[in-house]
Amino acid sequence: MLARLFNAKPAVEDAATAEERVAVASQLKLTWWRFRRHRLAMASGVIVILFYLAAGFADFLATMDPHDTESARSYAPPQAIHLFDDVSLRPHVTVLRARRDPRTFRMVHDQATKVDLGFFVEGYPYALFGLIPTTTHLLGLKGAQPGETLHILGTDRLGRDLWSRLVVATRVSLTIGLVSVVISLFLGVLLGGVSAVYGGIVDTAIQRVIEIVRSMPTIPLWMGLAAALPNDWSVTRIYFAITVIIALLAWTDLARVVRGKFLSLREEDFVTAAELSGAGQLRIIFRHMLPSFLSHIIAATSLALPAMIISETSLSFLGLGLRPPAISWGILLQDAQNIEALALAPWMLAAAAPVIVIILAFNFLGDGLRDAADPYG
Amino acid sequence: MLAFTVRRLLLAILTIWVISVLAFAIIQLPPGDFVTAYIAQLSASGASVSEAEAVSLRELYGLGQPFYVQYAKWIVRVIAGDFGVSMEWNRPVGEVIGDRLWLTMLISFAALILIWGLALPIGIYSAVRQYSIGDYLFTLIGFIGLAVPNFLLALVVMYLSFRFFGANVGGLFSSEYELAGWSWDKVVDLIKHLPLPAIILALGGTAQLIRIMRANLLDELRRPYVVTARAKGIPEYRVILKYPVRAALNPFASTVAYLFPYLVSGSVIISIVLSLPTVGPLLVRSLISQDMFLAGTIVLLLGALTVVGTFISDLVLMWVDPRIRHQLD
Amino acid sequence: MLTRRHFLTSTSLAVAALGVSEALAQGSGLAQSGLVGNLEGSQVVTDAAAMPKSFKEAPELAELVKQGKLPPVAQRLPAEPLVLKPLKSVGKYGGTWRRGFVGPGDGENGNRINASDKLLFWDYTGNKIIPSIAKSVTMSDDGKVTRVVLRPGMKWSDGAPFSADDFVFWFEDIYGNKEVVPTGIADMSPAGKPGKIVKIDAATVEFQFEVPYFLLIEMLAGDTLIGGGMSVGMYQNRSYGCYAPAHYLKQFLPKYSSEAQVNARAKTEGFENWVRMLHAKKDWNLNPELPVLGPWRTTRPINTPTWVLERNPFYYAVDTDGNQLPYINQIVMTLAEDLEVLNLRAMGGSYDLQERHIDIAKLAVILENRERGNYDLHLDLAFNGSDTTIHINQSYTADPEIAKWLTNADFRRALALGIDRAQLNETFWLGLGTPGSTAPAESLPQNPGKEWRSKWSTHDPAKANQMLDALGLTKKDGEGFRVRTDNGERLRLQVQTVRAFLPWPQQMEMVAQHWRRIGIFAEIRELERVLAFTRTQNNEHHIHVWTNGGTELLYLFPRHAIPVDPTEAFMGPEFAKWYASSGRLGRAPTDPNLKKIFELFGSAAGQRDDARNRTAQEIWKILIDQQYSIGTVGQSPALMGVRLASRKLGNIPARACIAQHCRTPGSSRPETWFYQS
Repeated sequence: MLARLFNAKPAVEDAATAEERVAVASQLKLTWWRFRRHRLAMASGVIVILFYLAAGFADFLATMDPHDTESARSYAPPQAIHLFDDVSLRPHVTVLRARRDPRTFRMVHDQATKVDLGFFVEGYPYALFGLIPTTTHLLGLKGAQPGETLHILGTDRLGRDLWSRLVVATRVSLTIGLVSVVISLFLGVLLGGVSAVYGGIVDTAIQRVIEIVRSMPTIPLWMGLAAALPNDWSVTRIYFAITVIIALLAWTDLARVVRGKFLSLREEDFVTAAELSGAGQLRIIFRHMLPSFLSHIIAATSLALPAMIISETSLSFLGLGLRPPAISWGILLQDAQNIEALALAPWMLAAAAPVIVIILAFNFLGDGLRDAADPYG
Repeated sequence: MLAFTVRRLLLAILTIWVISVLAFAIIQLPPGDFVTAYIAQLSASGASVSEAEAVSLRELYGLGQPFYVQYAKWIVRVIAGDFGVSMEWNRPVGEVIGDRLWLTMLISFAALILIWGLALPIGIYSAVRQYSIGDYLFTLIGFIGLAVPNFLLALVVMYLSFRFFGANVGGLFSSEYELAGWSWDKVVDLIKHLPLPAIILALGGTAQLIRIMRANLLDELRRPYVVTARAKGIPEYRVILKYPVRAALNPFASTVAYLFPYLVSGSVIISIVLSLPTVGPLLVRSLISQDMFLAGTIVLLLGALTVVGTFISDLVLMWVDPRIRHQLD
Repeated sequence: MLTRRHFLTSTSLAVAALGVSEALAQGSGLAQSGLVGNLEGSQVVTDAAAMPKSFKEAPELAELVKQGKLPPVAQRLPAEPLVLKPLKSVGKYGGTWRRGFVGPGDGENGNRINASDKLLFWDYTGNKIIPSIAKSVTMSDDGKVTRVVLRPGMKWSDGAPFSADDFVFWFEDIYGNKEVVPTGIADMSPAGKPGKIVKIDAATVEFQFEVPYFLLIEMLAGDTLIGGGMSVGMYQNRSYGCYAPAHYLKQFLPKYSSEAQVNARAKTEGFENWVRMLHAKKDWNLNPELPVLGPWRTTRPINTPTWVLERNPFYYAVDTDGNQLPYINQIVMTLAEDLEVLNLRAMGGSYDLQERHIDIAKLAVILENRERGNYDLHLDLAFNGSDTTIHINQSYTADPEIAKWLTNADFRRALALGIDRAQLNETFWLGLGTPGSTAPAESLPQNPGKEWRSKWSTHDPAKANQMLDALGLTKKDGEGFRVRTDNGERLRLQVQTVRAFLPWPQQMEMVAQHWRRIGIFAEIRELERVLAFTRTQNNEHHIHVWTNGGTELLYLFPRHAIPVDPTEAFMGPEFAKWYASSGRLGRAPTDPNLKKIFELFGSAAGQRDDARNRTAQEIWKILIDQQYSIGTVGQSPALMGVRLASRKLGNIPARACIAQHCRTPGSSRPETWFYQS
């Protein structure tokens, strides 16, 4: 099974028809064909899509209001989901009552009650995609008494449901990565392209800027920029400012890739042909050159995304960037970053799981895309 | 060749100068200054500072002057080798950084060796056995190192080692050696403390190098001379190790210039978590307290390190690889 | 002719001893935990008959005496040393006290251990003033003149005599030098009238004022600018205390040579000018050469990775057997870059006694590691009303609609009633605190009465909703939050928090959830400390969260209750500027209740003890009724009250006084602690 997943053997095809198809296929189509053969990358692609879907349906997937606090639930362990009650099918969880042991100061849990699980149950109100107001959630408790709540992954110190917080954090962290990447992509393509097209002083200047940005240690740059954000900005504006800050420091790699590709493409026959046929420079760039390395850009983008996500978590660690009550992976990791969480509530470490999975997925996806875009690159 | 070297050198100096301006400017970005930070800190421990006192302190530290004046004074002294006195530590910046700098170097160097030790064989294996289970497995392990948030990993490892092994956590020395002068025992103690931070630091950088090594070697393996060698019946390990690996090492070596500063700034966060006496925690602390001379010096130092590293690696590459030399001429 | 009264008999501060039973009744978990003991500690012996006749010293010092490097112990001690009766037994000499500190800004870590360099001090109960450097202090009946009698023959740590000249030197050459201290301090200027320090004879000085200053004795015993002693008074560029080592510091002042000469010296020593050199030289954290009076002196400065203190061979106190204190040879503090590491090290037994920087949230883990770390855990309950206090800015103006509500008493009361303090106590104080208002503990003389603990400080969302509706805040938006009366948008209260001492941002996230139920939207902001500080100084905040620690003795540390000190005036920075500058800067309050508070506060310094405490009670009643600062949970061990003490140590009290004026752990007398084996 594992071997099959990892083995990327070329699909057996009728040679003649394949050749014919290859001859007329566009660059993107070729890339896609090659990419499909890379099974790990394909699997990673599916994971990435699932994550973005989860981000889109975050509130629907959440089982509880991610902000709802309750001291009796402080550091409650994950509830095991039971499918059967004795022999009959009855999905349920065991809800525990907690009290603090006055000698050990740990929370002790006793007085278990069984509460049924259900799909499409009523929960806290939210707006699906920010548009459709609803109270339906995918999973929840049926007929729960007050004080009985569902915690698949346990709770944090404030008694907030970790699963719901993780799902909601996905939305913030994945879009931060995406927006940052789009901004740095724009900067990278623009400056990398300009650098390659115009050459000379412009090129030297841009290359200098790139070297300076790369030589500056990132932490002081982050700290300086983040501390300079006006304080009366709303959480949303700070969120966008953070994406811009991350992007401002991350575009240089993309710019290098783009410049390199531009330079090598300029020598290609089809560009020379276009030039000879009198096409304008812009037309050459956008009509001929850009499409031919679009796949490289896509690959570079997916390889850059993990760095953005890591940046966000590091910024949170330093107490910069997004702060609670916003919920992001960085903030959830920060909540787990202390001795009491490790000792008393190790399930808080679950916050690292989606980060690890998505970073791996993006890396394998990016590798696959790059291999597909240019087998010799 | 000489003209090129001189030109590169001038550009490197220019870059370092711009970095020095930026370094100084960044520290001025947040509202307030050292005196604000100082008062905030004092007030938290119960003291109070009057308006008049604040004014006289600003004057004392020369904070009332415009940015360019402060910068000019600083840079002139820096060129003369005097980095000023740290406001927070009340000691010359050189002294404050001194001990920590070489410990930082030591950790980064240890991590660098580890990264090479891991990335080189894995990279070669992955390239030679492309798409094998081993390739995927090792790459996966490499990437997990990249994906795990290293500050969390540092804390988890530290807590586990506290829980299941010794009591001594964090730092680079046991408490009994903290005060002692340098001795053989102290060096041994230091070596015992090194692996944990070095491994955590190395984990993040290995994936990148595995990827580079694998790609470089794959390039080489496709070249005709390798095919010829194979056809001649030379043993496979010699076919691979004799030329392709060597050729692939060239660009690999050039990444070191970037890796070293990456390790130094990458160590900042885990140094805080593990309470290591390196420049990392010093940098963050000095930025928060707006200790200009200290923060400026560290930023400048790290920046200059990268620039010099790039410069040297460019020269080395040019010397090693005639193709590049030709391209430039 | 002045008639003089002895302070020890006249001050009526001593009240009923703080019983642990009272504390235990407050928190149910406390009694069962067995971690809260009775207040206990070393006592000062004043009975002449009990004074030791001969003196002994540490073997290391005896060796130095033998070598002729140190005078004999009898000559090093003053004629009448301070005699301390150790808590349990006379101790043994020796040992190194290992401890953690967090950097060059953590000077208080050592200052508090060395706090007995004050003129007067509080005893272990925190309720009784005891002699310290001063043998006795007497005040004239009119309260204008206070005479301080020193201990004849007392020496600095370098062996030079300590005398009245050191007070005059401080007053004239340090405090009186405009380049060192630009403006006078309120402590020395009751009712705005500057007083002076006058030498009577070598061992006697007088504090002379134009107006009655009955508060002075408390000020001299408290953690104040003039009463703090040299350790805290002169660290980190500060120039207070009320004495200084004249024989040592004169060489750094222009007055005793010339400005050019001291500046030249500064240059050669790496300082920009003589003032910066002086600041570094008179800071005992930084300068190992500086003569001190406390039990230990610095040998490795605080700006290195290890801050080392060593016994002061001239320390002025002995135990009941005549052994010169301290018992412990040296204190070694190691730098921790992160509090998690510091806490882990404490649990691993790397420190011998640590209460500073210990995180109450880790209590369960700390308890589990007691055996392996070989320490006992003590929970010391503080006396201030509220560790987390929600200060509502009364001088805010930037947004008139917001300002209107912040300055509305019923609005503030509704916010106070909307908080579920039991939830906060359980989650963040592990049930160890006392929910309620900002009032100090009932056992203290300034407490206004039991009923004020719960005044406006219960959880009553129904009433809170009713009050908000009655104010006209009836309209709500789609999510159930009340809207502004001017433009119909959501009423957003910005709550500024800092991650320091306690997890205030997280706590306020919980409060925001409570307020959601009364339709109030609170935007919780976590700011870096310096940034938050700048904003409060600029009067930009709506609400700022901080402790009200120190307010248990209102006059000694008023700023967390009343905006009188611009350094921390979260409840009204403009009023603090106005008050501190005598009306030159800032803005006068218009709220009649606030005006009344300032009036009462201003009159207190000239009142005798009983009247002064009654005035404090009046102030507390107004403060609590008006809810300028909302109290949550206090009288807890959260701030410096979780104490890990090695089982090797002797004379460790079961419960220590945790308060600003007790200089925790200073009033537990670290000089009497010792290693049993």
